[in-house]
Amino acid sequence: MKKEIYYCLLCERELQNIVTWQTLLERNWPQTICDKCAGKFELNDNIEDSVQILYSYNEAMKDYLHQYKFMHDVVLAKVFRNEIHLALSHRTETMVPIPMHPEKLRQRTFAHVDELLNAAQISYIHLLEKTTTDTQVGKSKEERQRVASLFQIDINKQVEPKDYLIVDDIYTTGTTIKHAQQTLLDAGAKSVTAFVLIRG
Amino acid sequence: MFKNTIKASYKGLIIEPAIVNFAAGRILTKVNTPFPQAKIETYIKYRLFHIKPAIEITTKLFRKHYKCGRCLNDQQSKFIHFDCAKCDQICTYCRHCIAMGRIISCANLIAWNGPQPHISKNHEMCWDGTFTKLQARASQELSDSIAAKRQHLIHAVCGAGKTEILFTAIYKALKKGLRICVATPRTDVVLELFPRFQKVFPNTILHALYGGGPEQKGYPQLVLATTHQLYRFEHAFDVMIVDEADAFPYTFDSALQKAVQKAKKPNAPVAYVTATPSEKLLAYKEGYSFIPKRYHNFPLPVPRFSSLWNYEKQIKKEQLPTKLMEWTKQRLASEEPFLIFFPTIDLLEKAMPLFQKLHASITSVHAEDVNRKEKVMQLRNAEIPGLLTTTILERGITIKNVQVAVVGAESSIFTASALIQIAGRVGRNAHFHGGDIVFYHHGITTEMDSAKEEIENLNELGFGGEL
Repeated sequence: MKKEIYYCLLCERELQNIVTWQTLLERNWPQTICDKCAGKFELNDNIEDSVQILYSYNEAMKDYLHQYKFMHDVVLAKVFRNEIHLALSHRTETMVPIPMHPEKLRQRTFAHVDELLNAAQISYIHLLEKTTTDTQVGKSKEERQRVASLFQIDINKQVEPKDYLIVDDIYTTGTTIKHAQQTLLDAGAKSVTAFVLIRG
Repeated sequence: MFKNTIKASYKGLIIEPAIVNFAAGRILTKVNTPFPQAKIETYIKYRLFHIKPAIEITTKLFRKHYKCGRCLNDQQSKFIHFDCAKCDQICTYCRHCIAMGRIISCANLIAWNGPQPHISKNHEMCWDGTFTKLQARASQELSDSIAAKRQHLIHAVCGAGKTEILFTAIYKALKKGLRICVATPRTDVVLELFPRFQKVFPNTILHALYGGGPEQKGYPQLVLATTHQLYRFEHAFDVMIVDEADAFPYTFDSALQKAVQKAKKPNAPVAYVTATPSEKLLAYKEGYSFIPKRYHNFPLPVPRFSSLWNYEKQIKKEQLPTKLMEWTKQRLASEEPFLIFFPTIDLLEKAMPLFQKLHASITSVHAEDVNRKEKVMQLRNAEIPGLLTTTILERGITIKNVQVAVVGAESSIFTASALIQIAGRVGRNAHFHGGDIVFYHHGITTEMDSAKEEIENLNELGFGGEL
């Protein structure tokens, strides 16, 4: 097993990758963070509006998101790859990540949702396009829900009458997900569910 | 001096002093300045900034070798290659200094190439203390070394008055119009030194740079900085002083040592100041001052060893070892402030509730504690009776009449130099020059022995004739 990461990506402690029967049989990727850092993330139990959410938002998650999305530390996409793979690899729906506006994408240099899926080796297609550069950050729930549709279907793509699964990094009021869901349903999707990493 | 000198041509542009003051001596990314990016672009067009690649890529034995242009890190595992959406190709960034803003191969670094800022020679030193004979000599030796541009080592015991020795040497250098940096690996030390320096040099523009520190105005001729902040400078300083030169992470991280060399001008002298110099520092010194005595002329308290068998098991069973409990009760009864050092945060957190049974306001600090500064202040002001801590408080703090215990002194984290520093917290005040320093252990290590030997040795050197 090739060990690519020797130190915890979050705290720089040396990683002790202990090989057990489980690791050999389950074909997991090696760890990227130490047990102590992993223990700081809180799992999320409740399911909201048929959206599957893996983690709760806490201090550790805030630091992680800051380092990943705002300090642009792309390699942190690997931190949750085992968990995301476990949650999505058996799903039969077609994965559709929430896109970034091209302008923002150039600024950030990477699409954070796509990278999470890439790291977990989950295949996906892009169907949606962002209509504005506006973000949802700093708006109240009413303001968020009032805005015109955030997405449109990419004109080069075709939405088929299939089951789709929207993927995003964080779920706060659910507006982003609802807009994306509606856009896909209007274009002829059979059903649209969602998967989100963090409950904001 | 003909190296890539494309002269700046700034006809028709009025250069803002604020930008000169900020940019001189620094190495920056375009986005990481306090000024609008358009302005920076204009200055670049006028060649007021040099441009250099952010990540240097060379080919070594048919393999690409990466080096960060800012932190000079070249550990290849710290470079991340990814599919960059801006360039549509694989770009590389450095993870070593990412906390200060990402350095990526598709962006450039800029360094000031314009006129130099105005340097004041009008400085004042407000310090009316007096030197001991040893301090006066060390101060003179340091000034001589700076004038001769040679490396210097000040080897002075904890509580010898090292900072005061720096004052006069810095003052002389300031008056010559030199730019000086006092760097230290610890943020705590920067925070402690800053107000003292402000008081001593009231006419000097002085900046304190540390992670999360505020933005400050003017051209600082004197800079107090953590060694990490030196990544942001290149060929900036005429004199470089490294305080606590043996502290973590400076000794451990070779990039920080390179940063010191990069931040100073190529022929500028470096002075190292420490109580516990490493063999390497002792070997490379050119100038050397040695002070084996404290400023108050009393010997260093010598640690005593006391066995505390199976302390870890007992604490895990929620039992405070009897000896440790008695020691703490004694401190509480006589109202002496105390510090108890633990080898790990884990053990510290397990022991915490046991101590709180003795006195409810005993509290703890460790590296990740945001209220560290306040808690130390509370101990100093006698608002809390004592603190449990990790090695984070091993240096740089002074508390009157403090008593110190080390739990698990045999642990590998307590090296001889760490133990000497910890023992150095005790008896720093002229009125309370004694005090208890006890190493509780589960077996004596050679590190403990050599720490005690070294302290006894220093006392002998300092008081050989007089005692």
